[in-house]
Amino acid sequence: MYDPTKLLCQRTCFARSPLLRSCFHSWGLRMTILGTAFGVVFCLLRVVSGESGYAQNGDLEDAEPDYSFSCYSQLEVSGSQHLLRCAFEDPDVNSTHLRLEICEGLLDIKCLNFSKLQEIYFIKTNKFLLIGDSKICVKLGQRILTCRKMNIVQIVKPEAPFDVRVIYREEANDFVVTFNTSHLQKKYVKNLIHDVAYRQEKNEDDWMHVNLSSTTLTLLQRKLQPDAMYEIKVRSIPTGYYKGFWSEWSPSFHFRTPEPKGPGKMEPVLLIVSILSFFSVAVMVILACVLWKKRIKPIIWPSLPDHKKTLEHLCKKPKKNLTVSFNPESFLDCQIHKVDGIQARDEVEGFLQDTFPVPLEESENQRFGGSVQGPNWPSKHAVITPKTFRGDASRRCLAGNGSVCGTPVLPSSRSPDCREGGKNGPHVYQGLLLGPGTTNATLHPPFPFQSEILTLNPAAQGQLLLTPLGSNQEEAYVTMSSFYQNQ
Amino acid sequence: MVHVSFRYIFGIPPLILVLLPVASSDCELEGKSGEEYQNVIMVSLNDLDRIRENYSNCLNNEPNFFKKHSCDDDKEATFLKTAARKLKQFLRMNIHEEFKTHLQIVSQGTLQLLNCTKKEEKKSSKGQRKQDEMCFLMILLEKIKTCWNKILSGTKEH
Repeated sequence: MYDPTKLLCQRTCFARSPLLRSCFHSWGLRMTILGTAFGVVFCLLRVVSGESGYAQNGDLEDAEPDYSFSCYSQLEVSGSQHLLRCAFEDPDVNSTHLRLEICEGLLDIKCLNFSKLQEIYFIKTNKFLLIGDSKICVKLGQRILTCRKMNIVQIVKPEAPFDVRVIYREEANDFVVTFNTSHLQKKYVKNLIHDVAYRQEKNEDDWMHVNLSSTTLTLLQRKLQPDAMYEIKVRSIPTGYYKGFWSEWSPSFHFRTPEPKGPGKMEPVLLIVSILSFFSVAVMVILACVLWKKRIKPIIWPSLPDHKKTLEHLCKKPKKNLTVSFNPESFLDCQIHKVDGIQARDEVEGFLQDTFPVPLEESENQRFGGSVQGPNWPSKHAVITPKTFRGDASRRCLAGNGSVCGTPVLPSSRSPDCREGGKNGPHVYQGLLLGPGTTNATLHPPFPFQSEILTLNPAAQGQLLLTPLGSNQEEAYVTMSSFYQNQ
Repeated sequence: MVHVSFRYIFGIPPLILVLLPVASSDCELEGKSGEEYQNVIMVSLNDLDRIRENYSNCLNNEPNFFKKHSCDDDKEATFLKTAARKLKQFLRMNIHEEFKTHLQIVSQGTLQLLNCTKKEEKKSSKGQRKQDEMCFLMILLEKIKTCWNKILSGTKEH
């Protein structure tokens, strides 16, 4: 069946087919033109980007210069103003038309331009936020050549220390190094590490380094060479939140270490004290030697009294012309009479006044009236008066042989005065004691007269005559004499 | 039934979208270590304290702003963001340059550490006496300092 709608549609389409064909052809042409245009533009863009040398990824062509740069910051360099300083690393860069710009990390502004002084670019402002990164770009006109991201608080370069001083402490034997830095009064960069470098001036490259956070350092004297010249200097670097680079060195300070003290060298005070002490000791020694005997020794070592010396002091000193001697030879001039016993004074005087000679036996009996008599009573004991017995009798009375002459000891007789004594009269003698030697030996009387007078009984034991003093004293005397003879 | 489902489909999602900014925070605190605050922002706040001594005769009435915005728990970043932006309004005042610089450091430094993404529309403040504005500014600075200390102390405890 024939459909009029279909036919109409077909007729319409058919009627339109030439138009469609023409439209189709025009559209294709347009697309072709557009595609060609886009391709050209794309190629142009690529060429332009290659010529500009935009090298964020570092892909530079050989002809492009190196616009790399480095920067450092100094905070509060002038009041509240901060300083940012940049310079190209390649000195051959022609920076005539180049400018630097910093963006981001600023207060209330987007970007700031650097000022230029010769080859150095700098900004002095207080518009740094000090938080976060900033971007610094090199521009040639309006074209950006290179950019670099930096954090201003991480490129801080402190100001150089100053006023370095070294003080020597003699009592501590050390050197105190002090210096000053402007960052002590700053609000942001306050925490620094200081590097103190010192060397001996003759050793040019032998630097010693000491790191510290304070502004005072102590150097021990024993660690330095004596009598040497030293040079010392200081630099700083920030630490903590603020980071960066070492500051410039401070001006050097020169000092000399003292000379070593010799072993014999003494301090003046010590020398004076030693001299004074030496002299005082010497004076004391001299005084001690001088006053030893008289004053010091009697106090320290008192001498005990000696009875002999005491007696000598008490007794009268004999005359100088007198010579005392117990040598029997000195008594040769003296008439020595043996005394048989102690007689009273009257009897002696009486005996001397009676005629001479008196029978010896009688006289002996009289004399021994009070004595203990026995058959062996010593008849050898005879009293020889000075008158009757003189001359050679004394000569025979030798020392040590008292028994020969039976010399009595006359306490008051003295040999030089014997003759005088004999002339003046008989000596009064009492309490005469005869030695045992006189009793045992036989006496040889020098004179026959004496042989009559002296009747010695060799067998008789020497006995002493007893004085008619008292019964008690006689008993004591006997006891003593018997003790004496029995020895 | 079709009308009811249509309402739920096209009514509720927009409501959610409107309420979502209120619940979520658009700031992320970056300076949690406290270094930036202690070495930069706190220096400016201490310098501003010296200026605050000149305004000791301020009334103790707390402005309405602080009744609406406070450094509550889990809302510290939001408060700091609001307070920092409020500080910017005072930069237009006729004040000393050094004073203005410190205000900028506090405001901009806080915002940079918070790393907030969404910006609020600027609202012009009503005309007030300078004395009242200065008193409000001093209170605002004190609140900012207190809130920062709260954040850092909470960070140290964790």
